[in-house]
Amino acid sequence: MTAIVRTDGLVKRYNGTLAVAGVDLDVEEGEIFGLVGPNGAGKTTTLRILATLLDPTAGDAEIAGWSVRRNPNDVRRVLGFMPDVFGVYDDMRVWEYLDFFARCYGLPGATRKRIIGDLLELVDLADKRTSYVQALSRGMQQRLCLAHALVNDPKVLLLDEPASGLDPRARVELRELLRELRVLGKTILISSHILPELEELCTSVAIIDRGRVLASGRIADIEQRLRIGSVLRARVLAGGETLEAARDWFAAQPDVAASAILPDGTIELGFRGDEGAAAALLRAAVAADLAIASFSRAASDLEELFLQVTGQDEPAATPASVPT
Amino acid sequence: MTGTTLRRRLVRRLAMPGITAIGVKELRGRMRGKRAFVSVTVYVVIVAGFAWMIGRILEESARNQFAFDPTYQSASIGRGIFIALMLLQTLMISVLAPSSTAGTISSEREKQTLDLLAVTPISSVAIVVGKLLSALTWVFVLILASIPVTALVFVYGGVAPDDVVRGYVMLFVTAIAFGAIGTFFSALVRRSGAATGLTFVAVLIATVGLSFIWIFLRVTAGPLAQTRPPEALLYLNPFVAQADVACGTEGNTGGWCAIIDDITGSTSGSFQPVQGGVMLDTGGPAPGQGGGIAVPGVDVAVADVLSAQRDRYWPRSALTLLLLAVAFTAGAVQLVTPTRRWRPRLPGMSRRPGSRRPAA
Repeated sequence: MTAIVRTDGLVKRYNGTLAVAGVDLDVEEGEIFGLVGPNGAGKTTTLRILATLLDPTAGDAEIAGWSVRRNPNDVRRVLGFMPDVFGVYDDMRVWEYLDFFARCYGLPGATRKRIIGDLLELVDLADKRTSYVQALSRGMQQRLCLAHALVNDPKVLLLDEPASGLDPRARVELRELLRELRVLGKTILISSHILPELEELCTSVAIIDRGRVLASGRIADIEQRLRIGSVLRARVLAGGETLEAARDWFAAQPDVAASAILPDGTIELGFRGDEGAAAALLRAAVAADLAIASFSRAASDLEELFLQVTGQDEPAATPASVPT
Repeated sequence: MTGTTLRRRLVRRLAMPGITAIGVKELRGRMRGKRAFVSVTVYVVIVAGFAWMIGRILEESARNQFAFDPTYQSASIGRGIFIALMLLQTLMISVLAPSSTAGTISSEREKQTLDLLAVTPISSVAIVVGKLLSALTWVFVLILASIPVTALVFVYGGVAPDDVVRGYVMLFVTAIAFGAIGTFFSALVRRSGAATGLTFVAVLIATVGLSFIWIFLRVTAGPLAQTRPPEALLYLNPFVAQADVACGTEGNTGGWCAIIDDITGSTSGSFQPVQGGVMLDTGGPAPGQGGGIAVPGVDVAVADVLSAQRDRYWPRSALTLLLLAVAFTAGAVQLVTPTRRWRPRLPGMSRRPGSRRPAA
């Protein structure tokens, strides 16, 4: 595997404010790479530098071997970009919209026609071909914008907060679409502050805060590296003293940092071990004759990771999921 | 092949497709539905109605004058209509061209579509030129649609076809120059309303403002002053250029020529009107040195259109306006380029420091 997107000490300064303070990223071909961070962390600035819309104050970035500073035009040919906020031309039909961008890439007429048909099928807008763009719903416009970013068959897709403003159904559709694109071999860089969404989708993430990468790599690897605990929930069919005994049994196990009974009778565990250790814990609990009805990870690992790494509260996180 | 050579070839190859892409998109929007049809119709109706009214006014005033040569009177009416049409159209184009371009780039910023465009390989030159040309195409259609109305002056006479060509060249140049000013301000400020306002201020300064300074300098220098204010102050005023075109139609004795004489400091010819008398067009070269004959007892002079001095002033004005268009277009290209070396700092604009960029 080779890095198709690489940034090297990327710095962007606006009037003395450091938006990006030395970002180093390596994204391998075929990955769905998540940029995670609170609002104002520098995600959008990083993506805009990669999209050749901003010049970095220092450092450089390469996409498919082309430098965004020295070869911006070559970068643009291998890139598809969907900004966080985007508008649509209000006097165009759906096919004309895609036709326009296909012309921008200098595609000949026959190719344009074929690609527009394929893309409309892909994003499920084939029946909206002759509708006016402004008449589409937000989710459809989002999909159309994604289709526009694909007209040049890019190697790398940069998606800035693609799910913002979408209803749950549209989010699921978008997620399915991104999975499909990954199968087609696209490398996708996606930024979001909605963590569960990224967790389901991404192969790797970079956690960014205040313009710096705090951690990057595969979610499991980061977890391992930082030795960050997760939260397990065990539903034990017992009450009163038996339940308390079960809580104490769990508290005595290795890798369990804390054990507490929630109001609904579930036992919540602060757990330091990996998945293998969790399996061993379950086996031991069954062997100890505890009536386990359910046993699962409680909250988003990414949320945990994020909170641990950034060391501050995030509104997206559930307070109960913070391990003790 | 080196990366640089490849990139140059790529840029060259994409300049035209880029302009075409922008042009097709813009024209699809502008020419869709009834809008284009209605605007052309309204424009032509205004021009035709104005021509008819001017014609009627001139006919009535001719009826009240002592006249002995209907041919001359007809030619005089033809000239009057032609000049009035050129001035009216200059006024309309001075308003329509900037207003059709002043929203082109700022509206992309307002609709947040410029980023989508900027990440495609089409160059900033293609974006600006494509948008300018497609906005101007609409103005050009209006100008071309008025030609049949203007051609009616040939029924009256007094105007040569090449004078009409001169007048229309000046109209096209006016549209290009003021359109480029609109595009520049559209790229400079984010809001279309502000861009339109600034564009009209700039057009007013170019036309009325500089001309007023010229008049001020001319008057305060005294009527006998040897030095004149530089005529370049008036080059950006297309009305003065149309006055020179008008001068070409009226021989060398008329009021329009007097204006150009005053500006350029040259005289139109050896002939001076006799006591401000009526001019007569004999339809051919008058005897003598481009002069005229005075009919005893009647204050009549014969103007000789064939000896008229043409093109003394307007080509310089046209050239200056075209250079202005090139400069403003280049400025707009610089402003549209997403990663550029410098940014002008104006109140209300987001300030970004110039970024360092290594040589390619």
